[in-house]
Amino acid sequence: MYSDYAYLIVGLPILAFVLTIFLGWHLPKGGGFITVLATIGALILSVGIFKEIFPTDTIVHQSAHWFANFNVGILIDPLAIVMLLMVSFVCTMIHIFALGYMDGDPGLARYFAEAGLFTAAMLGLVFSDNLLQLFIFWELVGVCSYLLIGFWYRKPCAASAAKKAFLVTRVGDIMFLAGMILLYTNMAKLGLPEGTYLLQFQTIYENLVHLPSGQMTAIALLIFGGAVGKSGQFPLHVWLPDAMEGPTTVSAMIHAATMVTAGVYLVARMFPLFYAAPNALMVVAYIGGFTAFFAATMGLVMFDIKRVLAYSTISQLGYMMLSLGAGAAVGAAAVGVGIFHLVGHSFFKALLFLCAGSVIHAVDTNDMREMGGVLRSMKWTGLTMLAGALALVGFPLTTGFYSKDEILVAAFENGLYGLGWLPYAFGAVTVLLTAVYSFRLWFTTFDGEPRTDYGKHESPWVMVGPLVILAICALFMGYPTQDTFYDYVGNNFDHYGVDFDELAVVGGHHIEHEAAHEPFIIKILPIILCVGGILIAALFYSRWKKLDPGIVTSKNDPLRKIVLRRYYQHEIYTGWLAEKVVYGLALVSNVFDLKIVDGAVNKISKLTVGLGGNVRRVQTGVIQNYITAIVLGLTVLLVVVKLGMEVAI
Amino acid sequence: MVPLVLYVLLASTMFVVGLYGLMTQRNGIKLMMCVEILLNSANINLVAFSAHLPNVDGQVFALFSIALAAAEAGVGFAILILLYRLYGTIELDNINALRW
Repeated sequence: MYSDYAYLIVGLPILAFVLTIFLGWHLPKGGGFITVLATIGALILSVGIFKEIFPTDTIVHQSAHWFANFNVGILIDPLAIVMLLMVSFVCTMIHIFALGYMDGDPGLARYFAEAGLFTAAMLGLVFSDNLLQLFIFWELVGVCSYLLIGFWYRKPCAASAAKKAFLVTRVGDIMFLAGMILLYTNMAKLGLPEGTYLLQFQTIYENLVHLPSGQMTAIALLIFGGAVGKSGQFPLHVWLPDAMEGPTTVSAMIHAATMVTAGVYLVARMFPLFYAAPNALMVVAYIGGFTAFFAATMGLVMFDIKRVLAYSTISQLGYMMLSLGAGAAVGAAAVGVGIFHLVGHSFFKALLFLCAGSVIHAVDTNDMREMGGVLRSMKWTGLTMLAGALALVGFPLTTGFYSKDEILVAAFENGLYGLGWLPYAFGAVTVLLTAVYSFRLWFTTFDGEPRTDYGKHESPWVMVGPLVILAICALFMGYPTQDTFYDYVGNNFDHYGVDFDELAVVGGHHIEHEAAHEPFIIKILPIILCVGGILIAALFYSRWKKLDPGIVTSKNDPLRKIVLRRYYQHEIYTGWLAEKVVYGLALVSNVFDLKIVDGAVNKISKLTVGLGGNVRRVQTGVIQNYITAIVLGLTVLLVVVKLGMEVAI
Repeated sequence: MVPLVLYVLLASTMFVVGLYGLMTQRNGIKLMMCVEILLNSANINLVAFSAHLPNVDGQVFALFSIALAAAEAGVGFAILILLYRLYGTIELDNINALRW
């Protein structure tokens, strides 16, 4: 019964968007409660649909003809329903938090309107039943991200960060679009019956085995390119740390919990395609592992509390990609593992960002060096952030522990099957780094003595409430749900009759799925690394400080310099790529435009003007000349007519 | 009875005289006079042929033509008077404000 109203999952937030953008100025709190209520409505609908389809193990699929070979539709399968639940739940929490956090901002109505539009677009992205519709919502969340990063558009850095986010993700989006077109042309060549919707997921899944193998690798890599842009994977991750210029709630909602996971969701959604193209899957694993490691090293040295979390997000997204990439070894179970980490991550990362927001709200600075000892005035925020940090580092029994463990096991099996040990090595080292930077953040912020005279007060209950709820999820959601979750989401593709054995033949996998048996050390290693990391952070940064960071690095340490300058990405991307390569290309195009395109047009107009200039001399303005011409003409005409008549006779 | 050919000769002569005037003169009033001569040569033709074939249509037509010529002369001279006020001359060569 709920599934009949599935369209309202997107409809309600859209309605909230329309109401707040037109009427929000006249309502108390910018009409924020409308957006909150609409998101709660979407949450209730999602829960209702989940209760309908979970026990019966069915899916909801509604579709309507759009044009030509395209349809619009709603597809709610296990993969989509868990995303729907996660997005609507986390967005509800964040919108409630924003009621307190954004209070008093002159653009409040605009904030809630854009947040409502974003919620709608994200939910729509998740339940799309074809690639084209998904792409439309994909672009829509990109626009909302742009608008919300640049929410304080009078700040030049916010405006330029918004532009950067938009342009960098655009590089990925173009690849996604190209992949989609390539997929479409290949599907069109199969000669499916007239009226088949070629980009519908079901059609794609069913016909994968008929597609040429080389084409599939290209399509998978192009689609992964889109995911790289959206999910901030190396080398297109540069926009995500800058996106922290937006309000903290935006960072929590868009750049931690929901939108950046869209890329992971896309790869998970197209997993059968990737499975049939093992080379692409290997690229996914390597990029994911490398990103996890690479971003974590930068998270170690940042002083801006939000930037540490931003790098942590990139790093965790790398983990998700890594787990999907390990699907070559573990099959569709990889989707269950990756999505479990995605959902757990959205809880604890949204929590961490909201805690950071709560701290920033009170302390009024982003710089951790100016904080210290905040726990004394902000007990709730500090403790919930501790919960978030524990979940993030994968402390035993928290949500993050289960998912991270499974990812590392999958990566280990990936190595076992001769697909490279590097992703596993990256993943394992990152566990240590994650623990160090998370607790460096926690200790420098909440522990020790206050280093400046900041505002000391706890945030209002409307902000603390969501923190507590999210903290409970971050700590305790993992254990009771994990096995059911892996089964439920991991078997997502059974609903479409995807035969992974058949796809393995297409992809050239030679893997016995039962042979996997990892040594005990693999199971225990993450725990050792994470506890060790926490201890290291405690030694360096907490009140029981025994060691000074100076003993590891010095001011002139080249490694420290490189990491602090973020591996010179800015210099490479902006200084070299943008200003040399792209600018050079632009100059060449400019010359082409001026000389050849404009040149041709100008030549034509010059010719016309010149011709006209010559011809106008006939118009002397002297009547006598005209008369002479007329008489002469008449005479000639008469002679011709006369001669003509004589010839005729 | 004057033969028809003489009328036609007279009309042709007048036509050529008018045309010659139009082509050589610069003075606005002279041009108007030349136009009148042209018009009247046509009128003579009309009346001559009307008398030759017993048919009054041509004479009616000539009457209309004379009335029109009067109107045309009225408008034409009014324009010339205004031009004279504006430029102090009716030498049409000098009136070339709209020329390229």
